[in-house]
This record gives sequence, C-alpha cells and structure tokens, in this order.
Amino acid sequence: MIEVSHISKWFGDVVAVSDVSFAVGPGVTALLGPNGAGKSTVLRLLCGLTRPSQGTVRVFGADPRHDPARFRRLGLVPQQEALFEGIRARDFVTLAAELHGLEGAGAAAARALREVDLDPDDSRSLATYSKGMRQRVKVAQALVHDPELLVLDEPLDGLDPRQRLHLIALFRRLGKEGRGVLVSSHVLDEVERFGSRVLVMAQGRLAAEGDFHAIRELMDNRPHRLRVRTDRPHALGSALLASATVVGVWVAAPDEVVVDTLDVAGFRLAVAPAACAAGARLLELVPLDDDLESVFRYLVGAGSRNGR
Amino acid sequence: MTTLYRTFLATQVTKGRLAGLGALGALAVLLGVAVGAGDRTDPVTGGIGLVSSYGLALFVPVTTLVFASAVLGEPNEDGTLVYLWLRPVARWRLVAVAVAAALTVALPLVVLPMTLAAAATGAGAGLVVATLVATSLATLAYAGVFTWLGLRARRALLWGLAYILVWEGFVARAGGTASLLAIRAHARSLLARLADGPPDLVEVSLATSIAVPLAAATVALALTVRRLSHQDVQ
Repeated sequence: MIEVSHISKWFGDVVAVSDVSFAVGPGVTALLGPNGAGKSTVLRLLCGLTRPSQGTVRVFGADPRHDPARFRRLGLVPQQEALFEGIRARDFVTLAAELHGLEGAGAAAARALREVDLDPDDSRSLATYSKGMRQRVKVAQALVHDPELLVLDEPLDGLDPRQRLHLIALFRRLGKEGRGVLVSSHVLDEVERFGSRVLVMAQGRLAAEGDFHAIRELMDNRPHRLRVRTDRPHALGSALLASATVVGVWVAAPDEVVVDTLDVAGFRLAVAPAACAAGARLLELVPLDDDLESVFRYLVGAGSRNGR
Repeated sequence: MTTLYRTFLATQVTKGRLAGLGALGALAVLLGVAVGAGDRTDPVTGGIGLVSSYGLALFVPVTTLVFASAVLGEPNEDGTLVYLWLRPVARWRLVAVAVAAALTVALPLVVLPMTLAAAATGAGAGLVVATLVATSLATLAYAGVFTWLGLRARRALLWGLAYILVWEGFVARAGGTASLLAIRAHARSLLARLADGPPDLVEVSLATSIAVPLAAATVALALTVRRLSHQDVQ
C-alpha cells in the first residue's frame, strides 16, 4: 500500500526526516517515536500534504500529490486539533462523506460517528466538544468512506482509558479486515496494545522496524546508566566492578559514581552488599536514562551500528 | 457540495463581522440621505462622488476582503484545510464553492446598502442601476483577488488593506498605466458611464471597464486553483 524510499524532508536548515525507507501493507503498523522525531512529517509526506525534499513516496503505486482521485482510498486523522468549530459533528462528517462522493452521506456519517461512540444526533457545535470527543470526530471523518488505508497521527491523544480501548479495538479490527492502518504514537505501552509491526523513529531517522516484541527486547537489553551518590565513590566503584554486575564505572563527582549495567535487577541486588563491603554509605540511586527519549537514542545508535 | 457551501458560510459569518460591516453599510445609507438633503444643483455628481469615494474606495473592497481572504485563508492557517484538501475533489470545485460562499455574504452586505444610498441621494434611477452594476462587478473582482491572497499570504487582511489603501488608493490614483491595473478605477469608470456622470480619472470604454475586473477575477481564481493544487497543507 505504501512504499517509501529514501525520503528526506528539511525545512530551511532543519532536517525533519532523514533518509527513511519502509513499506506498509495490510494490518496495523505503528509508527513509534518521541515528540519531534519526525513522525507527523512522515505521515504528511505519505498523504501528499507536503513534498519530500529527496526520495519518493508511493501510495497505491502512485505519487499521492498528483492524483486527488486516490484520496478516495485513504483516510487521515491529522494531528492538529482544529475543526470547523461552528458546525455539528454530524455535518462535519457528512461533509467528508459528500466530498468522497458517497450516496447517503448523512447516513454514512451517522454510522461513522456511532463507530467511534459518538451521538450522531448531538445538536451541539464542535466548538463545545472536549479533546477526546474531537479526536473521535476526527477518526469518524477518516473512516466514513471506508478507506483501504487509514493514517492516524496520535489518534489516542486526549482520550480516556475506556475510549482508548475502544479505538484500539477498532483499529485492530480494521487491520484484521485487511485494511492498512498506520498509526503514530509516542507511548510505548499504547503501541504494545496494537499488537503490531512497529517502525521506530528518532531524530528524523528510522531507528528500528519489525515485530513489537523484538523491538521491546532490543529496548530492554540496552545498557542502563545509573548514578549512585555516596560518601566513598572510589571504594564503591571498585566494589561494584568486583561484583561483575556492571560493565562500566566512573567517578563523576566527589560524592558520585556513575555505572553502566546490562542487568539492572542484578545491579540493584548487588549495590547494597558492595557498599557494605566498601564501607560506603549509599545516599541516592537514580536511573539516568529511563525516559523514552534515551531509549530511542539508543535505538538510533543501534541502528547505525547495524548499518541501518 | 451543498454541505461544503454551508460549511464555508458557517465559518465565515460571525456576529462581529456582520455587526461591523453592517454598521459600515448603515453609514453608507446615512451618507446617501445626507447627500440627498444637501445641495440639489447636481445630484448625479454628488451621488457618484458618494458611491465612488465611500463605496468603491472603502466599503466594497474592505467588506469583500474580510470574507474572501478568510474563506480559504482561515482553514489554511488553522489547519482545517486538510479536511477539504485530502478528498477526491477537483481543486477548482473547492475554489468555486469557496468564492460562491464569500460572494453570498459579501454581495448583499455591500450592494444593498450602496444601492439604497444611491437611491437616497435622489439622483435618479440611472445612478441606482449604475451603483448596482459597478459595486457588484467590483465585489466579484475583489472576491477573486482576495481569495487568492488569503491562500497565498499570512496576515492576508493586512496585505489586503495595504493593497486597497496604497495601490488602489494612492498609486493607481496617479493615473496612467497603474490606474488601468486597479479594480477601483474600472469600477469608477463604469459607474460614471452608466450614470451619465462626468468622466472619471480613467477613461476607458464600457467594454473595457467590464472586461478588466472580470479578467482580474478569472486570473486570480486560476492562481488560487494552482496554489491550492501545489501548496503544502498543514
């Protein structure tokens, strides 16, 4: 459905996407990455909303910018929150259906709204809708013409847990029916629930791709860095090295030692005995790279090391 | 396309805009009454002066600017254009519906009060008809130009006002070639000819004074379609 070959996109001096290639077929594919990783730009490129500075994008075998007729097969949930504020949800979705040339656009809009758990007869204007309701309206307008390919940019943002489950189940069902569903997210646990193939983006590059569980393993197996505050950093560092649970140790400050370990659980068990043996007091133990950003940074490094 | 047309109308028509521009329309009628109540020696010249210097110089272009620059410009800036752009619809259709919606609001808002103002001057049916035709044609031409501007430029309202005040109000009044490229000059010329008034600054044939604003609208709409087809969308 989608073939992306060596695309790059830059805005002035800022490189948003750098040499990204991948293909997407039927089923759910998750595009995972931290904010600012270039996910939205990639999705915009796929939909023809902007041209690549370099490389090619093919959607259903053609450049998406050249033939508006192909938009009949595509539905997009964009990231921005803005909607046509003065109209009702049903009118907004009916507009989408009409522009797709559907017979019975009003009935199709009502079905799409029910699909996302919204009331088609709600007489309030979109301006009064909460963020979660607006997200679901966006999904409804993308679904109304029953597209073969659905592109969703952070569609679960602002939804409560029940609504999230509902939409995740909907996306999975659409994927199982043979539609292509490409959904971006910066939340690892969210992506896990899609149970899908994953494309990981970081710093504008494709850092990893494959089955979610393989990616998760790669993430979990990376070296972890921790900072230990102590009154005797040199002695504690030596003791930790002797415990064989660390792969690197250095004294970063007069009361601070930083360690790299591949086995966080083993290190946590070993650190107190090591401190006892060294006659050191443990003042603080802080993970330095547990945030998602550092996980992605690691994956980018791993991707480079593996020649991706 | 009816839902699209209604959506454009709903997004453009705000109470603030209607109140502000409606007040300008009411002012036009009051000015017409004042002109009619004043010196009666040459009501046609007085009436043409009012329609020309208030209507065609300010009220018509500003009102049309407000709606035409917003009809595609606002969706372009707030990111809702994507909901129209990413559909299997020819770009010219989107532009045509947008301009039709802008004209639906702008035409009655300007033509009705200006025609009433012309009638209130007491200059006769000639001026009323001339006002009706000249303001309608000018609104049509400005709608094309400002729809394009709304899509082309951020802060289109400011650029549009600069165009109205600097180009049409200052440069083009100097006469010569510049005035031939101003919508207002052709509308004024048309007004003067149809109302049998004194010759205007730009003396062009009746056909030219009709053809140039129509051509301006056509070219601007073609540029708008081209812009919509090729630009990046948020």
